[in-house]
Formats: sequence, C-alpha cells, structure tokens
Amino acid sequence: MKKEELKLKRVSKCFKGFWAVQDVTARFLPQKITGLIGPNGAGKTTIFHIITGELAPDEGDVIYNGHSIKGLAPWQISRLGIGRMFQDVRVFPKLSVMENVIVALQKPEEETPFYALTHWHKNKNKDALRWLEFVELAEQCHKKAEDLSYGQQKLLALARLLARGFDLLLLDEPVAGISIPMVEKILRLLRELTEKWNKTIIIIEHNMGAILDATDWVYFMNEGRIYFSGRPDHVLGAKEVKELYLGLVKEKR
Amino acid sequence: MNYILHLLIMIGIYLILAYSLNLVLGFGGLLSLCHAAFYGIGAYTYTLISMHFHLPFVLCIAASVLITGFLAFLVGIPGLKFRGDPFVLVTLGFQVIIFSILYNWVSLTKGPYGIAGIPRPEIFGLKIDSLFSYLGLVWISFLIIGIFFYFIYNSPFGLALKALREDERAAESLGKSAYHYFLYAFAISGAIAAIAGTLYATYVTYIDPTSFTVDESIFQIAILLVGGSGNLLGPAVGTVFMVLLPEALRFLGIPDSIAPNVRQMIYGLILIVLMYFRPQGIVGEFKVR
Amino acid sequence: MTLLTQLLVNGLITGVIYSLLAVSFGTVYRSTRVFHIALGAIYTASAYGIYVGKNAGLAIGVFAGLGVAIALSLLIEWCIYRPFLKRGSSLGVVLIASLGAYILIENLIALLFGNEVKIIHTGIEPSISIGALILTRIQIIQFFIGILFLIGSLVAFKKSKFFKAAWAMGDEPLLLEVLGLPVFKLRELIFCFSAILCATASMLVAFDVGVDPHVGLSAILLGAVAVLVGGMDNILGWIFAAFLLAELQSLAIWWFSARWNDAISFALLIFVLLFRPTGLFTKEVRIEER
Repeated sequence: MKKEELKLKRVSKCFKGFWAVQDVTARFLPQKITGLIGPNGAGKTTIFHIITGELAPDEGDVIYNGHSIKGLAPWQISRLGIGRMFQDVRVFPKLSVMENVIVALQKPEEETPFYALTHWHKNKNKDALRWLEFVELAEQCHKKAEDLSYGQQKLLALARLLARGFDLLLLDEPVAGISIPMVEKILRLLRELTEKWNKTIIIIEHNMGAILDATDWVYFMNEGRIYFSGRPDHVLGAKEVKELYLGLVKEKR
Repeated sequence: MNYILHLLIMIGIYLILAYSLNLVLGFGGLLSLCHAAFYGIGAYTYTLISMHFHLPFVLCIAASVLITGFLAFLVGIPGLKFRGDPFVLVTLGFQVIIFSILYNWVSLTKGPYGIAGIPRPEIFGLKIDSLFSYLGLVWISFLIIGIFFYFIYNSPFGLALKALREDERAAESLGKSAYHYFLYAFAISGAIAAIAGTLYATYVTYIDPTSFTVDESIFQIAILLVGGSGNLLGPAVGTVFMVLLPEALRFLGIPDSIAPNVRQMIYGLILIVLMYFRPQGIVGEFKVR
Repeated sequence: MTLLTQLLVNGLITGVIYSLLAVSFGTVYRSTRVFHIALGAIYTASAYGIYVGKNAGLAIGVFAGLGVAIALSLLIEWCIYRPFLKRGSSLGVVLIASLGAYILIENLIALLFGNEVKIIHTGIEPSISIGALILTRIQIIQFFIGILFLIGSLVAFKKSKFFKAAWAMGDEPLLLEVLGLPVFKLRELIFCFSAILCATASMLVAFDVGVDPHVGLSAILLGAVAVLVGGMDNILGWIFAAFLLAELQSLAIWWFSARWNDAISFALLIFVLLFRPTGLFTKEVRIEER
C-alpha cells in the first residue's frame, strides 16, 4: 500500500514585496482529511497553487512520496496522483456532463493523434455513468455542464476527480454554496474516500461545522503563516484562533 | 459546365483547409492567423521538390506534408506559449514573416514572379489532366482527409483538446498538457494544409506569394466563423457558403470593376452581424473567446 | 557611416509616428480591452479626409481629416462596440467584429476612391542639411507635431482625472459603474483621443507619401506590436517600443533592404514576448487573472 505523504518545508511565496505565504511547514498525513482554515487572504489558496505547480515557491520545498515536486508543471503533478477542485468549480461548460467525466477517465497514452488513428473508438459511457451515479448526476448526463446548478457543478467536479483516481485530493471550499443535505452527503463521501478508498484529502473551508465534522487535523493560517495546528476541536477552541478568525466569522452549523 | 467543375474543385481544396484549421480553432480554441502560410509552404515545397527532383507525385506530396508539418511544429514551439490577443498577433506575425520569405527570397521561390508550368500530377501511370479527373483527385483526397479528421475529432485526443479549450487550468489539473496537445494539433493542421497547397499548385499550375497572404488567412478563419467550428458539420457549411458567395454576387449583376470590393464589404458586414447574433456560426459548437 | 546615421535619424522621426500609432491603439486597448483593428480604417479614412479637404485649403483639409477620424471613431463605438459591450460578448468576438468593420470600411473607401495611391502634396519637398544629414521639411514637421502630441498625451494621463479614470477602467470596468462614473462618456473620450492621434499620424505620413485604401492595417499593427512589446501598463513603454521598432527597421534597411520591414516588426514582437510574455515594462499578473 502506497503511503502518500505530502510535506511542505518552509515554503514561502512573495508577490512584489508582499509575502502571500511565509515559512510554511506542514505535513498532510495519508488517508486522513486535513483542514486548512483562516481568513480570506491568509494564503490558503496560494498553498494549493504551490502544491499543484501553478505557482513556484520562492523558498522552501514541496515533497510528495519522498520526492520534491517543486517546479513541476501542473499537468505533471496531476499525473503523479494529485488532484484539485477549484474554488470556482471550473467544469467544462460546453461539454456534456458525461463528456466532463469521460475526459477525466482518459489516460495520457490514449490522448495522442497516433492512438486516435490506430484504435477503434472505445465507448467510455458506462464507466462515466458509474461515477455520475455515485454523485447522483446520472440523469443529467446529456446536459451541458454549464446548464447545471452551482451545487450540481460541484458534484460533477467531484465525480471528475474520483473518476481520475487521484490519491491526493485538494478541495477548495467543497461545500460552500450547497444545500445542507448535499453538504452532509459530500462530507460522508469524503470520509468514505479516506477510510475505504485510501485517499488523502486536504480541504480549505470556511464552514466550521464541516471542519469539525470531517477533518482529522487542522492548520490555521493567517497572513501567510501557520499560526496554529492540531485536532479540529482543539484549534477551533483556541483563544488566538477565536480572536483572529472566528470572532469575525459567524459560526455556521 | 467547366465552371461548375472549377467551383467544385475549389470547394474541395477549401474543405481540406477548413477541416485542418478546425482542429486548431474549433477544437483547440486558438485563433490562428497563419494557416495561409502553411497552405503556401505546402504549395511551394511540393512545387520546388517536384520540379527540381522530378520525383513521383505521391512522394512529393508526402515530402511536402512532412516538411510543412515540421515547420508548423517549429512555429508552434514559440507560438503556443501564448494565448488570447498575443497569440493572434504572434500567428499574424508568422504569417507576415513567411509571406516575406516567399516574396523576397527570389533565388529560391522566384518571389513575386511566381513559379509557372507546374506539371499536372501523374499517379501510378494515370495522368490527371482533365477537369473531371482533377475533381476526382481533389474529392478523393478530401474523403480520405475527412475520415482522418473524423477519427481525430472523435478520439480521446479530440475531447482532450476541447477540454483544454473550455478551461485550460481545469484540464491541466486533470493531467492534460496544453502545450503538447496544442502542438500536436498545430503540426497536424499545418501538415494537412500542405495537401491543399499541393492540390492548388498542380491545379492552377502557377503559384505566387499573393495567394498566401494575411487576407487569405482571414478568409480561412472567416469560413470557420461563418459555418461554425468544433464539430464535423461547421467547416463544410462554412466552406460552401464562402466559396459560393462571390458567385451569388455575380448573379446580382455587380460590375466586375467593383465586385471584389463589394464582396469584401459583404464579408466584413457578415463578420460583424454574425459575431453579434450568432458567434458560434451557422452550425458550429465553438464561440470565439 | 553617413548612410547609417541618416537612417538612424530617419528612424527617430519614424519612431515618433509609430509612437502616435502605439498610443492611439494602446489607450483604447488598455481602457476598453478592445483590440481595435478598425482603427486601421480610421487611419485610412482620415488620410482621405485631408485628400479631399485640401482642395479647399490645407487647413480645411486638416480639419476634414480630424473630423472624419473622430466621427468614424464615435460611429464605430456607438454602432459596434457598445452593442457588443451591452451584450456581454467576449473580447475575441469583439476583435472579429472590429476586423469586420475594418474590412467593410477599407473596401468602401476603395469603392469610392479607387485602389491607386492618392498624392496629397505634389512638388519637391524643401530640405535642410545638417552636416552630412538631410532632413526634409515634412520630416521636421512630423517630428515636432508628433512630439507635441506625445507630450500632450503623457500630460493628459498624468494630470487629468478623466484620463486617469479611463485608464483605470481597463482594470475594473464594473467598479467604475458602481462608483457612479460615466463609463460610456469615458469610452467616448478615449475613442476621440485615439482618433485624433491616429489621424495626426496618418495625415503626417500621407502628406509625405500619399495614401491608398490598404495602408491602414499595417499601420495599426505596428502600433499593436509596440503596445504588446512595451507592455500593457506603461505609455512610456509603448513609446520606447515604437522607437525600438523604427530603429530596428532602419538597421534592417542598412543591413539588407527595406523589403523585410514587416517581418522585422513581428520578429521583434515574437522575440520579446518569448522572454517577457507580458511586455518589457510590466508587473506580474495574479494567476486568477489569467
């Protein structure tokens, strides 16, 4: 069994004099759900950009499975097994729901012109439908992705990630803007992914209820640094966290 | 009758250009303004190889396809680092540079004088000389190329291109490398454009750089904008419409002296109106971003 | 050596003209995000304006040229760009529409006036000699009028709150509406400003070499290249790039011949953008803005 451990070692990122991320060291344990919380602008999404290769850190290193992945391109990091759900979801709007999942199911070897000319068209519809049924979107499979509701698009993005079989999932506000029953379903799904499917998950969230329910460990970030870390109830009960963050944000249940 | 055959031959050649450009514009979402340059390189490469080395038609066209495809690949290496307006301007730049080379490198291409006396092709002993046989050549070529693109468009590669077109960041996060996949598409489109260039050269038996200008690139883009891109039907509709439009104007009795200008004015108007009311074209899937 | 010096000095004057084109194109591009290909038609039209108007006197001709440019510019904004803006069309769509407008107007002009070159000014140009250098009167006029307009532009964007607001419009168009600023009026201001600069460049050149219906596109593309090479955020960058372009073309003439001018411009563009994709003088862009 592969142990996917992601480590950030003293990672820093500077934008023209402004340190978005400063000296961040963190461990994200395999088959666990780690939460990343903090006020807006604390650097949480920047950390995601750095892990996925969209931004290169100015200092420090990113280590996955014992190897440094700093400096790799996003598509290379994706092929190592690290997947991401964006804050603004980003489904493929003009492609159908089905095609959105199919494109995630396709392997790199299949996506060349040479393969196109030497292999008969294999229908991936059945496999795609499996994942769509999982997130209860099977009935919408022929709709264009842009015609789905926000919550449905989030589920579609999730289905894409699952279909691809990533080992490490970075989810940026997976339950924001979603109805309560859907939130509970997704959180149950996340738990299942780590316990039954051996995935590792990192989530950025502002929904403290979700953090308390779903995460095993939490990092609290503020102004680019990690201020606090520990078990969720620990972190959310800490005085500094309450002052810096929770005092500003109404607790959501 | 001859005139109808001529039109059908030109439609066939432009269909090949449209389907190849469709891979870059409709599937890749990239507004490339240098397709006429590859059309021209294909025409000149075939002509020079054929007239200098006297090799059989099939070998010359194969050489033209490979060389043009390779040059398209070279253009793509820097070119595909850009997107949006810079990409449009950069491809325009390559179009202008390549035209300049065709026009000014007189010792190689004979420049503005052009190359005349291009022999009609001979395939396996059969001389393709009459209009009818030429029609057959062009349309059989298009059929093969059409099937080629049918497979490519409907392949995982084609779908990956569309995903990259829809949202490049999201597609990259799913392991698809925009740079590499777009490079494949660009090279293939250039290579196929060379076939059209060859067929044009051997049909008209004379080529000069003025057939391969910025205006020609704009015309080829217009075909896809009008008919639609990103699918199988759009390029066909666009080609038939745009190639036959000047003929329709002829029926309206517009004097020959001003006909070219009127035609262009109508193109301009069509572009404006189309982009406002139907940016995806008549039957297209892709809207320019 | 004197040929080279002459060419480099000529390059300075050409650089002024290119700068006008760059600022003309760039201010529209920066403020409204529109890739204003139709500006090429305005360039051509204003030259024909002076061509027609000069029959009643040079001053009338100049006013005709400016008038045509401003009128056409506003017409394009009202009839094309604004409807597209209200529709929420994407920028690529507007680019194509702008191209369509250029083609329409270019050929209308060809229809009305024919495809041949029209000469504005006949007769030999008086010239002065400075050492081994020869400068024609029109070159000197081009230089000083051009510099005047360039300085005027820089001052406008530094001092005038309207120009500064228009500039900021390019960053956050929605914000301006929220703040109650008149977006449409600012756009009109920018389009008029751009038309005046473009017409000035066009008339200065036309007076020297005449005009034909097809000069507009290459002129505007020069401006666009200078803007992209210089970088979106800095007028001085555009001006620097314009001069760089002009001098490179002079050097090319000295090394090879004038035939490669177009290719040189674009080769410069591609070269610079490969090493600095956002232009020579720009700031880093956040990922979310990609």
